[in-house]
Amino acid sequence: MIELKDLTKKFGDFTAVDGLSFEIGTGEFFGLLGPNGAGKTTTISMLSTVLLPTSGEIYIDGVRLTRGASEQKRKLAVITQEYSMRQDMTMDEVMEYQGRLYYLPKKEIKKRANELLEFAGLSEYHRRTVRHLSGGMKRKLMICRALLIEPEILLLDEPTAGMDALSRRQMWNLLRQVSGRDMTILLTTHYIEEAEALCDRVAMINRGKLRKLDSPESLIREIGEFTVDETGEHDLKSTHFHTREDAIRYLESASADSTFRQTTLEDVFIEVAGRKIT
Amino acid sequence: MGIITVLWEKWVEFRRDFYKITVAAMISPLMYLIIFGLGIRTTSHGEPYIHFLVPGLVAMVTMTGSFGAIAQSMSVQRLYEKALDQVMVSPTPLWQFITGQVIGGSLRGLYAACVILVMTIPVRHGLVFNWLSFLIMVLNGMVFATLALVLSFLAKTYSDAPRFNTYIIMPMSFLCNTFFSTEEMPDGFRQIIDILPLSQASGMIRSIANGEAPGAIGFVILFAYLIILGGISVFFIYRKKNL
Repeated sequence: MIELKDLTKKFGDFTAVDGLSFEIGTGEFFGLLGPNGAGKTTTISMLSTVLLPTSGEIYIDGVRLTRGASEQKRKLAVITQEYSMRQDMTMDEVMEYQGRLYYLPKKEIKKRANELLEFAGLSEYHRRTVRHLSGGMKRKLMICRALLIEPEILLLDEPTAGMDALSRRQMWNLLRQVSGRDMTILLTTHYIEEAEALCDRVAMINRGKLRKLDSPESLIREIGEFTVDETGEHDLKSTHFHTREDAIRYLESASADSTFRQTTLEDVFIEVAGRKIT
Repeated sequence: MGIITVLWEKWVEFRRDFYKITVAAMISPLMYLIIFGLGIRTTSHGEPYIHFLVPGLVAMVTMTGSFGAIAQSMSVQRLYEKALDQVMVSPTPLWQFITGQVIGGSLRGLYAACVILVMTIPVRHGLVFNWLSFLIMVLNGMVFATLALVLSFLAKTYSDAPRFNTYIIMPMSFLCNTFFSTEEMPDGFRQIIDILPLSQASGMIRSIANGEAPGAIGFVILFAYLIILGGISVFFIYRKKNL
């Protein structure tokens, strides 16, 4: 279990994360959703101990996470937004370095690395240096590297940022398979459909503050599952309804440009934060 | 053990860039040897100047080799590749990571010194280099590898690494007992230069080369730098808020 208690991070006068508190249960697929600059990456960086909080604490299975907490860190693997790897190492060396950092026996590293690279379709490039890989291959390699250590907790910071639609779907499938291994996953994303498709629960953050936390279905249900969009001269007004009948009744009395649709998580976020997530 | 992991990583780096590292270790000392040792033929204390110069160059390359290996690599890993994140999140104790970097950096400096010792075989007749000389080379390399770690944790941009060379390493190369004795410097300035690690390492390696015993104070000064800088780098990696 991961617990964030009143977690705050300031950079000078700027507060990137402001008193964030929530818990993530063991085996849960948890989404941290927010626009660019909301504090998602800063939160992940504090969970990976690259940044230390200005105040507040993080607990992993009841033990406070610090840079010296080796036992807690053994459970964690991170896939960062940037390609955080030695660019001049080959794929094999990247995997071996990771395995050694986590004290895996050399034979085990070799066996698991071969399996993972095969699974990701990278085995034929195993002697290629990272700097000579495409963006998609680097991203896959980062996933293989994280899975090599069979972590209990996987932190994913915008894993599909910059991917095309097909690659993103492939990544979702991969993440679904991984989450089936009873792994706790924290995913940060600004893609609403990603959070909706993958996460058991979602925390919406904006300007560093937690705005809402619940399952995607409950969050949508809370504002109403049906939406009517009215296109005005300068803006788009969305009204949410709890029943289809209410929405249709409203639609009949609304202007001709109005449309009816299912409410999405993005609608929830707009309601909560007052701006779109892009 | 984490130290072995870091040394393995340094070995991978060394194996890949072997020729580049070797040539880079040779170029500047070779120029100094040609210009000051062979081109401008002078004497120092009644001896050929090259006998004064070689021990100084050996000490100098342990500094530049060790410092360069760590400052460059750590700055790139921390600020550009973000590869340090992989280490930070891993269970490898961070003090072991620091220790591995310091030993690895020092070995790179020692390798550069060995290259110079091989290169100067034809011109350094009578100079003694024994196990104590090598111990001083390792110690000097460790001091500068640790200094490189501290500075790379302080660096804000990737371009800070070359600046450290300009502001710290280059002045030390010229002033710290490499090309001329610090005895010839004015009072006040001489005392400051004398307590710098390279002055001590050059002095001790030169004493041994001339068949004399090195002063114990040199070891004390080098160990003091190593402990202070090592303490700062361990403090930074455990306590610095934004790595």
